[in-house]
Amino acid sequence: MCFKNLPIEFDAEGKPFLRAGVANPYGPTAATPRGAPAQLTAERIEELLKRNGYIKDLDFDPVTRVAGALAFHTVADFQGRKVLEARSMATLFRGYEVIMIGRDPRDAIFITSRACGVCGGVHSVTSAMAIEMAIGCVPPPLGVLIRNLALALEFLYDHPLHLHLLAGPDYSSAMVGPTNPSLLERARRTEAPHAEIHGFRTMGELMDDLNPLSGKLYLEALHMTRVAREAYVLICGKYPHPQTIVPGGMSSTITLTVMNEMFTRLAQFFDYSKKLATIWDDLTEFFYEANPAYKQVGARRANLIDSGIFDHHEAYDATYAGARAWGERRWATPGVVMDGQLVTTDLHALNIGVEEFVEHSYYEEWTGDGQRQHFPTDPVGNPLSPYHPWNKVTKPRPQGQNWKERYTWDTAPRWDRQAMEAGAYARLWNTAVAQKLPANPFIESTGTSLKLRLPQGALPELELEWKVPAVWNAFERNRARAYCTGFTALVALNNWLAAMDRLKLGDTRTSTPFEIPKRGEQRGVGFWGAGRGYLTHHLTLDRGAVANYQILTPSTWNASPSDRWQQPGPYEEAVLNTPLLEETDDPAKFKGIDILRAIRSFDPCMPCTTHIHSDAGVITREVNTCACGVDDEGG
Amino acid sequence: MIVAGVGYRNLRDHSVGVMVADRLLDHAWGQDVVVEDLSYNPIAVGQRLEDEPSESRFTRAVVVAAVERGNRSPGTVAVYRWDGVLPADEEVHRAVTEAVTGVIALDNTLVVTRHFGGLPDEVVVIEVEPAVQEFGEEFSEPVAGVIDQVCELTITMATDESAVARLPHAGLGGQVPMATRHHLT
Repeated sequence: MCFKNLPIEFDAEGKPFLRAGVANPYGPTAATPRGAPAQLTAERIEELLKRNGYIKDLDFDPVTRVAGALAFHTVADFQGRKVLEARSMATLFRGYEVIMIGRDPRDAIFITSRACGVCGGVHSVTSAMAIEMAIGCVPPPLGVLIRNLALALEFLYDHPLHLHLLAGPDYSSAMVGPTNPSLLERARRTEAPHAEIHGFRTMGELMDDLNPLSGKLYLEALHMTRVAREAYVLICGKYPHPQTIVPGGMSSTITLTVMNEMFTRLAQFFDYSKKLATIWDDLTEFFYEANPAYKQVGARRANLIDSGIFDHHEAYDATYAGARAWGERRWATPGVVMDGQLVTTDLHALNIGVEEFVEHSYYEEWTGDGQRQHFPTDPVGNPLSPYHPWNKVTKPRPQGQNWKERYTWDTAPRWDRQAMEAGAYARLWNTAVAQKLPANPFIESTGTSLKLRLPQGALPELELEWKVPAVWNAFERNRARAYCTGFTALVALNNWLAAMDRLKLGDTRTSTPFEIPKRGEQRGVGFWGAGRGYLTHHLTLDRGAVANYQILTPSTWNASPSDRWQQPGPYEEAVLNTPLLEETDDPAKFKGIDILRAIRSFDPCMPCTTHIHSDAGVITREVNTCACGVDDEGG
Repeated sequence: MIVAGVGYRNLRDHSVGVMVADRLLDHAWGQDVVVEDLSYNPIAVGQRLEDEPSESRFTRAVVVAAVERGNRSPGTVAVYRWDGVLPADEEVHRAVTEAVTGVIALDNTLVVTRHFGGLPDEVVVIEVEPAVQEFGEEFSEPVAGVIDQVCELTITMATDESAVARLPHAGLGGQVPMATRHHLT
């Protein structure tokens, strides 16, 4: 049984039902979820701040080197070198859900893409899938394969960007030198174990080339984003907002020339993946050996969720009823990991366990304390919470910031009432443990690891193995992201080969015609993923127009505030567990690098406006970019 | 020579750069002038500029955009030769972060492309102070009133060396004497 907090049980056929005798199964008075950590109360924090001079507010506003705007409030104990309070703030409402109401559903493919300036394509595809499910339209095999390729290429833009432009500088000599000089000195004396693959003789040399603007790894990452982007536009027309994604597949014309041009670019990621994995192996092990306390930086329970991605072209039927089957045949297995254990790979169970809460968010509650809901069940009769996205109504209520009450535009998504973490690493973890990968020559799921056989390039063929980690922290997030580059490249290779087989058979059809029904009510959900992990779009149509649209992104999960039980969101929990390891006792010189490593390891993707709160008020700089993680929802 | 617009489509006054580039596409330019919409990831813009063969690299860029500086009235047009002075590395790095995560704006386009060496030495900037930022195709009244002049000014800056020579050198935003609408008429 995968639910421990929601009163959901399963019958002998595995069909879920609500436990009998529970008067208000989703009500606000339900007991505190088992196994949950809690924030200190605002009163207790105030008391500590007043009584102890070494306890101080430490604010990051904005958190730099993340996509969009994130602010983070902490209270730190500089004597105990720990964090006592952590509050994550999404500072903008953009309201894609509100914009979508009343529109033709096809608009969603183009409008929701604008939620993100990095990964617009993932929103377009998720949107197309939600429409396909609602209207009953199944893409042809080549359409599925090309869609997989498009998104794999988008991730091959995204992974290097995270690793060496956003998070990587936290491990560069330019950053480590000022915060931990003894560590950098040690790095200069330490040989890099994988020098023969990545080319850096010492850890110090490697850290030098992670330096922003001048480091070779930084510049190489910029170049590789170009390679991925060039391949992507061959089939999507534009980056980051594709023009060829439609319900029922892709509108691209796929020829051997397009496939070959794509391959020459994809192949460059085989060697690059070898370098990335070994660089992050070496960095991770170096920090662990230098100081085992680094294993606590960004640590939290391994509670991970992923909606799965990359459909098998012979399995995907675009139906909700079939989602249990086609979900488990994906190249990245959907699933939920709770306290390090995989508890389900069933998309129905994953879906019905999701709820969103707004007790600490700038939204109004919409259920009347759990009493009102539009859909009591999902399309196959499984129970749904009033707080489920299909029942959710977005009701913004702007107001002042108050840690005790409301402090963010993000909501608090929970699965089985637990704070779950989304990321590319959840994709690896589920796939490694579930052992449900389609048969293929390049990727093997062993039950405890993923083996990645990367073909020869300038570097020889290499088998990488990502192992499910014993600890879960900032370093493991980044290491997994590095391995995910190789995983993504090999998923793309498998799909490229399958697409070539279709072309050889003369099958060039990439889409299926469709009509939007003008009568009745229909529902759909896109289960997909961003470079950063989990992504769903829940859609309700009424007489041909959008009646409700709800987006749940990885950063919605990760940046979430505390919930009604005072359970912190993932960023908050990770920061609360982070020791302050900088080599200074002077709070004035403190940079908060370990806190920033913890936050950046999640690859935050936040709203596109930076609001700088000052005594004079709120200064706003509108930049119109990535909205992931936004509005309660924003990639 | 490249004449470029930077901005967003369907964002009312912030579409000035895009709209000017669209209108000037059909102008009877000489063979050495290219008109493009450079409203995309500035890293990619830099890579596109670097792709020009060395013998035909652009020698001048005339860049048009709406920029909200906040210290001038809507519809104000500022024209200057950018002095090319870059901010501190930390700010350049911030501009790169914004570029790769989707920010399209004049300042980060110029800073990023200058830093990585794609931008011509001579850059003429034509800024228009917007009045509104919201979805839509129509300009506000103050901005609509200067669009024709901005197009003419762009043509002048692309074709008249002496006019360019008379422009002040200035840093990005606020560091230049403002030319107003009245100067243009």
